[in-house]
Amino acid sequence: MDFNYRMRLLTVLISMGVLAGGGLVLKKVLLPDSFGVYGPYRADAIAEAALIPIRHGTNTSCFKCHPHEAKIHKKGRHQTISCEFCHGTYADHVTDGKKIGTLPVKKEKEITTLCLRCHNTEIKARHEEVIKTVAMPNHLKDQRVKITHNCNQCHQVHAPLQYIIRAKQITGLMEAGS
Amino acid sequence: MDAGHSSAAMLVSNYVFPNDLHVHWSMMIVLYPYITGLVDGAFIIAALYYLFDVKSLRPVARFSLLFALAFLAIATLPLLLHLGRPERNFNMLLTPSPSSAMAGFGYIYAVSMGVLVFIVLFVYREDLVELRTNSKGLLQLLYRALTFDSIDLSKEAQALDRKIIRFLVGIGIPIAVVLHGYVGFIFGGVKANPTWSTPLMPVIFLFSACVSGISAVILAYILIRKAKGRSIDHGCIKTCIQTLTLFFIMAFTFEMLEVFSHSYLKSGYHHMVEGLLNGPLANSFWLWQVKICSVIPLFVLGVMGIFKIKKRLYNFTAAIVSAILLLQVLIMRWNVVIGGQLMSKSARGYTEFHPQWFDKEGILAVIIVMAIPFIILFVLSRIFPFWETDTESKVK
Amino acid sequence: MNRRSFVKKVLNGSIAGSLLLVWPMGGGSLEIPVQIPGIKGRDYDILNQEFAFIVDVTRCIGCGSCCVADKREYNVPDGNYRTWVERYVKGFSDKIYVDSPHGGLDGYQHPRTDIDEEIRDTFFVPKLCNMCKEAPCVQVCPVGATFISPDGFVLVDEKRCVGCAYCIQACPYSVRFLNPVTKVAEKCTWCYHRVREGLLPACVEVCPTGARKFGSMKDETSEVYKILKGPGVLTVLKKEMGTFPALYYKGARREVI
Repeated sequence: MDFNYRMRLLTVLISMGVLAGGGLVLKKVLLPDSFGVYGPYRADAIAEAALIPIRHGTNTSCFKCHPHEAKIHKKGRHQTISCEFCHGTYADHVTDGKKIGTLPVKKEKEITTLCLRCHNTEIKARHEEVIKTVAMPNHLKDQRVKITHNCNQCHQVHAPLQYIIRAKQITGLMEAGS
Repeated sequence: MDAGHSSAAMLVSNYVFPNDLHVHWSMMIVLYPYITGLVDGAFIIAALYYLFDVKSLRPVARFSLLFALAFLAIATLPLLLHLGRPERNFNMLLTPSPSSAMAGFGYIYAVSMGVLVFIVLFVYREDLVELRTNSKGLLQLLYRALTFDSIDLSKEAQALDRKIIRFLVGIGIPIAVVLHGYVGFIFGGVKANPTWSTPLMPVIFLFSACVSGISAVILAYILIRKAKGRSIDHGCIKTCIQTLTLFFIMAFTFEMLEVFSHSYLKSGYHHMVEGLLNGPLANSFWLWQVKICSVIPLFVLGVMGIFKIKKRLYNFTAAIVSAILLLQVLIMRWNVVIGGQLMSKSARGYTEFHPQWFDKEGILAVIIVMAIPFIILFVLSRIFPFWETDTESKVK
Repeated sequence: MNRRSFVKKVLNGSIAGSLLLVWPMGGGSLEIPVQIPGIKGRDYDILNQEFAFIVDVTRCIGCGSCCVADKREYNVPDGNYRTWVERYVKGFSDKIYVDSPHGGLDGYQHPRTDIDEEIRDTFFVPKLCNMCKEAPCVQVCPVGATFISPDGFVLVDEKRCVGCAYCIQACPYSVRFLNPVTKVAEKCTWCYHRVREGLLPACVEVCPTGARKFGSMKDETSEVYKILKGPGVLTVLKKEMGTFPALYYKGARREVI
């Protein structure tokens, strides 16, 4: 048999090995820089995740420019509610200290729907110690109010008991348990 | 697990987690194990001849190698079609995670492709050398490369070739086992999914893979030979059917054992698994996979194994049984891959899967992907003849 | 600016509008309050952090503020949820009815009408990423695109993910999804970008009843520290999966899966 043939096969084998070795070198070269710093992943991805723009500014960011509402909100029962839940995110409203858009304000029937989202007594999982709930239109009937009324016709949305308490003070209404 | 003890209680309100509504692993992921399974099964036939010297398999030995090669060539295609970001697929080669079964794909595929290509080159070296001497120009360059630029066909050279083939087939077997076994482990290693998470999964996948591959070789052999008006070697078919019977008994046993252990042990979320098999998958599992495509072939194979049957009838039945078993394995992959995702991780509901026609993982794409290997096979047949001539002198 | 341009500005528009323009009321960039002590204004020691998230099921009223805030914070595509709220209804026959219409994005406006028996109990369960200490999603990711950062957050490297969806299959809590726009895997990150600035996650921020609590376990004055070190019963989801979540539930019943 041709000595040549064996040598050719050996050459093929060796070149496979060389290719594999070259592949491993290529693998090392193409590996992203921050790979392996903390583990088998790109450490830069942590920084990238940390630098996503913040969209909700928290209530503090709203109070800076809206001191009137801030004063009312901070004292009322709704102080734990986020302004941004009802109105929209800070990022849609202000960029670099400049206003870029107007945030929506709910009106009329939309307000009632929004209120009932939390305060509807029909959803039984809302416990008294956590939140006060009412059934509509019973609540309106109990309060001797037209059943076409919206919630915000009696309740100040930012401090829902503000008018109620004031009204009771004015009329001198005394209630057991209040 | 305290959340209710009767399956009726579980499914009173069909609740699927919001993110579970969509089935993420679609038909391409059904196809991928099917294709690697066909490769494995075809390779078994070749291995039986080239390594274990089962002489009766000589007529299909070379063909099964080419069949395996044609399907292995497109094995990456369904995966690329499935990936959300296929342009990043090299990440699997650059940074394969050592704890992920799926990360093995790039390297396992490359190695098995390399081994199979070399086996084919060595098996067909004589034909290739002849083609080289009879061609010119670019084509001749190609053949020179494929034969390592050697025209040595002496007895010693051919003896060396045979040794190399035996060696390559020998290492090819564990490589083939890993090529398909790791796919089984991809499913078996997901503890979050009760239908998938079982140590039996790689075993089931492997045995049914062999079933599909052997059936494919039998069916293709019979159909192609009949189309060309050539004879069918009965002894070869007989050996194939016997091997098929063995693998199928194993595959079916393990498939049924898996289902049975769930329902007997009654552990974990077994209600959901039973609810799945008796509910959304009742038709495709019990009727199609088990009754029509498993029990019937089991009986037929039993009859073929026990009784003496006339050659023509035997060959005909072999073709029918192979076709049914090819379907069985496909349905089994469907039931595992897609069926397994129908069950929500809420353990309280099932979602639905609606195959699309024109999606990148849709029905049309499936048809095209499955058609391509046959085109490749046709092209290969122009270079590497499927069958040796009547003299049978060239087969190594 | 000088007096002339000042007057010009005031005269140009209506008084109220121009006043806002002339006097920079908000002033400069977003001022970040200190919600998680020890982070703002300091170098972030990534190797020495431990955070915990506690969900108090007894205080969740199903308002869905958290879902809305989360969707807004990340522009989550419709049909996918980084967090959601489930409603559990338990009948007297011990049957459990669970639902989550749009993941609770519209809140729960109406009770269920399809239940034939008398209802014994109802409660809401918020769900989000459990930040498992032994995360199965990290284990199965083939390319190292999802990982546990040294400060304990399971994050997704959006530039590396190939969209194979293996992590989505592996998560026992179904908190992951494939973003249909970017085609990579995504999930709740406990608002990592906010926490790094010392802010609470958006869902914790907007929760009106304190059903969601977040804090650093390195801060002994934080609410989560006190609860976790206290005598109360805290549970985790699917404990048998062995994922060791950093998300704890207070008051979750045995029916919660």
